[in-house]
Amino acid sequence: MTGLALRSLRRRASAFTATFLAVFLGAALLMSFGAMLDVAGDATGTARNTLLTVGLVVGGWGLLLVAFAVTSTQSLAVRQRAEEIALLRSAGATPGQVARMIIAECLLVAVAGGVLAIVPGWALGHGVLALMHDGAMVPETVGYAFGPCALGVGLGVTFASALTGGVFAARRAVRGTTVASGDEAGGLGRGRIIAAAVLLAAASGEAVTTATVMRGKGLDAMATSGQADIVAALALALLAPALVGGAARALAGPLRALGAVGDLVLAGLARRSRRLAAVVLPIILFTGIGIGTLHLQATENAASAGRAASADDRSVEVLNLVVIGMIILFAAIMLVNTLVAAVADRRREFGQQRLAGAAPGQVLAAVAVESAVLAALGIAAGTVASAFTSVPFAVARTGSALPAGGPLIFVGVAALAVVLTGGTAWLAARRALRAPAVAAVA
Amino acid sequence: MSGREHTGRGEAPREALRLENVGKVHGTDGNRVRALAGVSLRLAAGTFTAVMGPSGSGKSTLLQCAAGLDRPTEGRVFLAGAELAGRSEAALTRFRRERVGFVFQRFNLLPTLTVLQNVLLPAKLAGRRANRAAAADILARVGLGDRLHHLPAELSGGQQQRVAIARALVTAPDVVFADEPTGALDLRSARDVLALLSEAVRVHGRTVVMVTHDPVAASYADRVVFLADGALAGSLDAPTAEAVAERMTRLAAAVERGAAA
Ligand SMILES: Nc1ncnc2c1ncn2[C@@H]1O[C@H](COP(=O)(O)OP(=O)(O)O)[C@@H](O)[C@H]1O
Ligand SMILES: [Mg+2]
Repeated sequence: MTGLALRSLRRRASAFTATFLAVFLGAALLMSFGAMLDVAGDATGTARNTLLTVGLVVGGWGLLLVAFAVTSTQSLAVRQRAEEIALLRSAGATPGQVARMIIAECLLVAVAGGVLAIVPGWALGHGVLALMHDGAMVPETVGYAFGPCALGVGLGVTFASALTGGVFAARRAVRGTTVASGDEAGGLGRGRIIAAAVLLAAASGEAVTTATVMRGKGLDAMATSGQADIVAALALALLAPALVGGAARALAGPLRALGAVGDLVLAGLARRSRRLAAVVLPIILFTGIGIGTLHLQATENAASAGRAASADDRSVEVLNLVVIGMIILFAAIMLVNTLVAAVADRRREFGQQRLAGAAPGQVLAAVAVESAVLAALGIAAGTVASAFTSVPFAVARTGSALPAGGPLIFVGVAALAVVLTGGTAWLAARRALRAPAVAAVA
Repeated sequence: MSGREHTGRGEAPREALRLENVGKVHGTDGNRVRALAGVSLRLAAGTFTAVMGPSGSGKSTLLQCAAGLDRPTEGRVFLAGAELAGRSEAALTRFRRERVGFVFQRFNLLPTLTVLQNVLLPAKLAGRRANRAAAADILARVGLGDRLHHLPAELSGGQQQRVAIARALVTAPDVVFADEPTGALDLRSARDVLALLSEAVRVHGRTVVMVTHDPVAASYADRVVFLADGALAGSLDAPTAEAVAERMTRLAAAVERGAAA
């Protein structure tokens, strides 16, 4: 089966690019912060605490994000190959063989991505430590170390996510029918609902703690509020299939008014809600974390505006922005990554639409409308998630529920999300339309 | 549409399709395959034509060039009197959705749309008000009146192909092209599909061009046109399955001799 997995990987390289990128970037990100735990081995006192905090906190968020990205791109890749898997099964492959093949593919991709991430992860960790040296959070005498923690966290998390994702994807792939069905909507699984509820409870807990216990405790409020938006965004991302289904019901009227293009979008939203949810997921993470953290920092800046900022404040700000920048960059790349994979896979569907009489412009229009709906949905959910961080922190720091920074933060992040989503989908769709319609459905 | 024009004595039959010296080379430099060479063909409206030939003889290429799905590299194609050349992709699409219907071996129904939505789609894409009654009527005619709200995946192959035929016929096209429409079907479903295609011609006056490799399927047509190595290799009027099979055997042998020489 490993042989089969290898061959299938080589032929279907494009389907695995998204997973590979998620693993590669995720492992590099995790290794760079995992390295802070290695560095902490040589440090003492506050420097040691700071290093451990940065390593553990960022590692913790990163872990969730990376696990999510890897699992979601993997299930997308397997879903795209439903037809191929059905063929394999009708050719006599047992469910066990197919499952082993899928898991082997996932692990091969994870090993390749993880190993290649070691050098960039090492360099990135160097950069993070340099920032902490500059901010005098860690004395220059504490040198860089990249050892078991970095490798263990980086490789361990990505491999474990790949394995878990592979097992889930394999289970789904071999369960039930052997033919891809037109209706992939389906409700949320119980596991998904429970996980979302637990995450939402955790985010709410952090929000309440920030707004009450940490009230007036200054900068420390950041520790409890910083990741609430991430946790809330993950919870909403888990519910994304239901959100897409809800959008389909809510928008049925206006979409139908758009004629055939609207019909196509509506049918996709209603019957491909799981596949489209994979696109909404990174939009929620991107906007949730982006808006939440920028408001948090703006509130902090406003709260400490009266007094001269200390070196400590500045380095916290820089570190905060670097960490968040990396996580947002990761989410943005995942967004582009997932969209490219999702759209490229629809070559056949676009070909079928064209054979039914859709002009290329109409296919593109349907993609544009669909992207707009998905972006709006992701931004709405992301904004809700961001409030779990920004509002309690504003309460704790300034006593007002309104975070500083004004509407510009929302507008900027939302615009970026729209441009990334729309631009990527548009370009990917144009590419997918280049082949003649008959060739695309062959 | 007024439907068929019965060809009275002395009156020239209305022409549905004309190919003039059509040639097609696939691929670019380095990797060229000549799929068609000097094909000239004229089909009257209201006729049922089968195209046969060994695998790789250019049947699909011929159909796609004739239907405006592919552009020939030489020659001219006229569909119901209008020339296809020199149109943009969007213009070709508009032309196709008004004048042409397709049926493919693999159905190519949209998987997220119901049976009825699939049949309504071409008209809606053309910006016309969808005539639900006409769509439901034609679906009833192909025996799927009780499946309007099913998804294609919930139907058998034969039923899906009947939906595809309903979709191809609902816009009252000048020509319906079918590329091995029975290739993926069991014997019974294949017969239903062939009966529907010939009913479209005999009763409703449509023009049908069908690629097939099955002599029995070809015997439903008024005329069989043979293709070998991208060129026409004769035709047979009022074909019987036996005559077609015999001709195909000779053709395959000739192609083999040609390849060996
Ligand atoms: N898109 C293409 N690119 C290159 N060669 C092609 C393409 N389509 C068809 N061909 C070649 O053109 C020839 C005729 O193909 P086709 O029309 O599909 O034959 P048939 O339908 O009779 O089996 C074959 O040699 C085939 O390999
Ligand atoms: Mg063919």
